[in-house]
Amino acid sequence: MKIWTTEHVFNHPWETVVQAVWRKYPNPHKPEVLSTDIVDRKVEKGILYSTRFISSRWGLPGWAKKLIGSDGMCYAFENSEVDPVKQKMKMRTRNVSFANTVSMDERMEYKPDPNDASKTIVHQEMFIAVRGVPLTSYIENYLINYASNNSSKGKDAMEWIIKKIDVEVEELMHTYKRGTSELKTSIGKFQDTAKKSIGDISNLTKSNKTLPRI
Amino acid sequence: MNSVGSECGDLKKSYDDCFNKWFAEKFLKGDTREDGVCKEFFIKYQSCIKKSLKEQNINYEEIEKDVMGTTEEKQPPKTS
Repeated sequence: MKIWTTEHVFNHPWETVVQAVWRKYPNPHKPEVLSTDIVDRKVEKGILYSTRFISSRWGLPGWAKKLIGSDGMCYAFENSEVDPVKQKMKMRTRNVSFANTVSMDERMEYKPDPNDASKTIVHQEMFIAVRGVPLTSYIENYLINYASNNSSKGKDAMEWIIKKIDVEVEELMHTYKRGTSELKTSIGKFQDTAKKSIGDISNLTKSNKTLPRI
Repeated sequence: MNSVGSECGDLKKSYDDCFNKWFAEKFLKGDTREDGVCKEFFIKYQSCIKKSLKEQNINYEEIEKDVMGTTEEKQPPKTS
């Protein structure tokens, strides 16, 4: 069994980061992820529980694929909980493909940085166990290295989608501001027209001109 | 993002778009009531996915049972 842990700080608030988790794929930093599907989801006592089915293509060398009995495709389940009050998101991803040979169990937790609310801390743990095939220690080390490389790609992937979300929010704000300013201009023009009409009517009555019979 | 069921792509997009909006504008702001509109999209999407998984011989319910059937499986919430 090999265990690896890491911690990372995103310079973004927790609400943005957790939205990014759902919107992460497709992502140019993680082209090996082929599909993601929500297979179960519910809210219970204010907490969102979700199960996501993920299929990806391994970048394992041929010898390793043969040893663990993989054709390169890997299916996994990710179970997660989001608590919006405590501001905590927990995720656990486990492979189902070749699970009798290799067990990969990744746990992640996203929380606001207690010292800076504009930042989010993510804690990641990976447990890998290989059994029933030769070179178990060698394969475990290989997989742990694979996982740690993937972790840095994972962070890049998150930064990429967060940037996209921030741009969307900014564009929405511009549209809102432009819309509000256009509305103010329209109201202003309407008011001017209305004043002019009232002024015209007032002049007509003052000048004692005969008003047309109706 | 693709769905594991190639014909479920549009249904997945409709559901994901609905969910992402609800998640950002309601759930994270404290309104945790499940959205009725998203539920309708979800039902259609799920029906497609399950059919597709079956066709691809991926019995996810059976698989999930194996994965989850350990002592570490999340326990159902205690009734108060």
